[in-house]
Amino acid sequence: MRKRFGIISFFVLLFIAFIAVWNYSYYQGQEGAYIPIEKNYLAPMIVSESDVFKRSEYALDYADMSIDENHERSIKSYYSNRAYYGAPPSIPHNVKDERNMGGNSCLKCHENGGFVEKLKAYAPITPHPEMVNCRQCHVPQQTQIVFKKTNFIKGSLPLVGTHNALAGSPPVIPHSLQMRENCLACHAGPSAPKEIRVTHPERINCRQCHVSNDKMMEDIGIFIRNIKTNE
Amino acid sequence: MYTSITNRRSFIKKMAMLSAMTAASTMFPGILFAEEQERGLPKGSSLNWKKAPCRFCGVGCGVLIGIEKGKAVAVKGDPESTVNKGLCCVKGYHSVIAMYGKDRLTKPLVKKSGKYVETSMKEALDLIASKMKETIKDYGKDSVSIYGSGQWTIPDGYVASKLFKGCIGTNNVEANARLCMATAVTGFLTSFGLDEPMGCYEDIDHANIFVLWGNNMAEMHPVLFSRMLDQRLTRGAKIIDFATRTTRTSVAADKSILFLPQTDLAVGNAICYEIIKNGWVHTSFVEKYCNFSKGLTNMGYGLEDNYKFKDKPEKIDFETYKEFLNDYTPEKVEKMSGVSAKDIKYMAAYYGDPNKKVMSFWCMGPNQHSRGTWMNNIIYNIHLLTGKISTPGNSPFSLTGQPSACGTVREVGTLTHKLPHGVVMNKKDREFAAKIWEVPVENIDPKPTYHTVEMFRALDRGDIRFMWIQVTNPMVTMPKLKRYRDGANKKGRFIVVSDIYQTPTTDIADVILPSAMWVEREGMYGNSERRTQYFEQMVDPPGEAMSDTWQLIEVAKRMGFEKQFYYQEETHIEEIYKEYRKHHVGKKHNMAPLEVLKKQPGAMWPYVDGKSTKWRFNSKYDPACTNGEDFHFYGKPDGKAVIWQRPYEPAAESPDNQYPYWLCTGRVIEHWHTGSMTRRIPVLHKAMPHSYVELNPGDAKRMQIRTGDKVKLTTRRGEIILPAAVNQRGVPAPMQVFVPFFDENILINEITLDSFCPISKEPDYKKCAVKVEKA
Repeated sequence: MRKRFGIISFFVLLFIAFIAVWNYSYYQGQEGAYIPIEKNYLAPMIVSESDVFKRSEYALDYADMSIDENHERSIKSYYSNRAYYGAPPSIPHNVKDERNMGGNSCLKCHENGGFVEKLKAYAPITPHPEMVNCRQCHVPQQTQIVFKKTNFIKGSLPLVGTHNALAGSPPVIPHSLQMRENCLACHAGPSAPKEIRVTHPERINCRQCHVSNDKMMEDIGIFIRNIKTNE
Repeated sequence: MYTSITNRRSFIKKMAMLSAMTAASTMFPGILFAEEQERGLPKGSSLNWKKAPCRFCGVGCGVLIGIEKGKAVAVKGDPESTVNKGLCCVKGYHSVIAMYGKDRLTKPLVKKSGKYVETSMKEALDLIASKMKETIKDYGKDSVSIYGSGQWTIPDGYVASKLFKGCIGTNNVEANARLCMATAVTGFLTSFGLDEPMGCYEDIDHANIFVLWGNNMAEMHPVLFSRMLDQRLTRGAKIIDFATRTTRTSVAADKSILFLPQTDLAVGNAICYEIIKNGWVHTSFVEKYCNFSKGLTNMGYGLEDNYKFKDKPEKIDFETYKEFLNDYTPEKVEKMSGVSAKDIKYMAAYYGDPNKKVMSFWCMGPNQHSRGTWMNNIIYNIHLLTGKISTPGNSPFSLTGQPSACGTVREVGTLTHKLPHGVVMNKKDREFAAKIWEVPVENIDPKPTYHTVEMFRALDRGDIRFMWIQVTNPMVTMPKLKRYRDGANKKGRFIVVSDIYQTPTTDIADVILPSAMWVEREGMYGNSERRTQYFEQMVDPPGEAMSDTWQLIEVAKRMGFEKQFYYQEETHIEEIYKEYRKHHVGKKHNMAPLEVLKKQPGAMWPYVDGKSTKWRFNSKYDPACTNGEDFHFYGKPDGKAVIWQRPYEPAAESPDNQYPYWLCTGRVIEHWHTGSMTRRIPVLHKAMPHSYVELNPGDAKRMQIRTGDKVKLTTRRGEIILPAAVNQRGVPAPMQVFVPFFDENILINEITLDSFCPISKEPDYKKCAVKVEKA
């Protein structure tokens, strides 16, 4: 008897739960389809501050590091495996393990860099090691043969050495900083392309002198006084 | 600094050389850097480099300006300067562009039936002089006033003070520094009897711990912050960021501690409590060199017109002070401040550790504070209790925001109660000044008139009828702006504005005078470490633009003060500086002669026997110490500094149900002050095109606000709509918002509160209650 009571009450509870869940989902279903209307807003061009000082603990090591001229990268090879300026680079080497997350595979070389004997190259350092699903954006190139030819044009690439406002003044940052807030990852160390390698990695407060001016994203233009507020 | 690997042997050799070079570069950070910058310059250019202090902040970096064909075309850090050792910040590197904005004012403009009409400089100056005379005749001498700033060069401020205080005989002389540095002054005067830091920037090279009190140095004093970062890399120094908001500084710091607005008073007292409780007091130092005092409490907030307050100091003993601190145990303070008792003890332990040299930095956090003088006192208390003061690396360091806030406003004394030496209330000081100025001593009024907020209230009321505003932009910076703008626009007010561009302040002017800026004229600035720096005229000012000094001299002559304003046009800066030096004769404040300033990147006063004084009040370094002991706080009659008993009191306006958020205002690295110069530098404008309101991500999510969405801020003063910034430059604590004030198109000061510290009369821009809604 007691056993049966247990079973009955179990089913009763289950039934009540079913009614409640069904009720809830019914009312949820009643709600009309809703597409939020995106307002056309003016997004401030303030770049994120996260990661500004990341890797700065290695600054003195970077400053002391000698440069292996035989194996350094150039800006040309840097752009060569990007589909366009700002695109995620493709993986120029074989990937051993297809089923691993970044922490176990890619980051082993690309978190801190180092010379890879087999590839005769220094592993570039990722500016965003916290994003471990690397293969979401970075894919290897398994073949050089295309399926069909494309008319896509790579677009103009920013030149090096043309971003100073005055002779000798610190160049502005010409690229977007999204996921690239950590300057030292790409601009210091043996894997940095020689043209954009910083001469003073020990000065870690980069944005003390270098401010963002990403014309590719949006040309802001010059300051205009708003006379309206001054009636 | 990179070398290449060619073969093993040369590699090893190069490595050895390199490590030697690195050692050298860390000992003199920046010097190698300036050379490097030089290499980046185009070959064969015929740049002529001339030295100057930077135009912008109070750090006072030495810069070299490249002149080519009569134009300033480049800037580099001056490797000879001990301030910045060859490194600048982004504003400094681009500073010369500020002189070449397309809309530069080149001719005087006079308002005629609502429209500005170009006129000649002579006519404009005639008009100003006659209007001033007329106003004095009709309404008395206290109806005319001048309002300058810490951007005034020393000669600008000096002639302004001489004309108004010495010749016209009114104490209506004030400066933007009242909104910025007045609290630092009263802090120094109450604790030590003499203004300005006892230490210098060299302390950074000796200190082990840097405690930043509400001071986002990575953005606001970036060059000094970089010097601290250098010290951390090379010596393992630690940086503690004690603030209300998470900033670039917090990210870089070894420890970031957040406190609730206004509770820094309680936390400071809790640190003192811990120091005493744990026996970290430097007993012999306190016994020999310190007194204990308390002042009045429940002072009010100055919100009403004609508010008056005078502190009544009363001596107390150590025991009374100890008893007072029992209300501030870390556990009690934890509840009100949001700072854990552990963190309070952590900070106290560093201050208390006899083997650690501690430097405290602060700027607008404790200064723009309705109990700012108290907060300054409390920081000094910590350093005095532990004896960590006036020695290399042990330094409570009050920073400044304007290039000559110290040099001009604080030292020349362009505040209502001040004279170049001493105060107007003191008969001897008046006689001393009158003698140098060659005016009858009765000319100098012994009664101070209006401090800045009250001066603009007087303009609104009609007690002041004529105001001359030079090198500053009060129609962006005044709190509760609308009242003061409406007041200035009232009939029967005559406003003269000297500036280099049109600003919201020139919009209220009856006469706009075009000024020569910075290196378009000759002058001196004085920075935060008592360093006076000279700059020569390097380029011609545009059109009829004229230096503020010469504008004042021309008007003074027209008003009949030719005798006092005898200066020759070619040599007036030199003549003025020579005359000014007379006010500071003596070991306590002697200024370096001009020849010295021309030769080297500045000199620190007291400049005695051909030497700058690096650490005042320490007999090892300061020749003015005369008591035969190690330390002599000679600013006070008995040679002792004062430890003040200062309680916690709430802010003038705290969040409530109707206005549930705290509103804090401040700056960003790209823009300096109101942005009238930096926004005309395309590099800086493009990096920071407009203002925004920073929200805490949690609050933003709850209100469904994303970056870029329009947000309405409402206070009891009004409302304003501006774009949101979530998780961008800074992250405020929950239920707090932050807005930079540089944007004249989004005037945050329309809604801020004009409460001020009753002792210093400096407004609190950091705290008022605000309602936040998605617009």
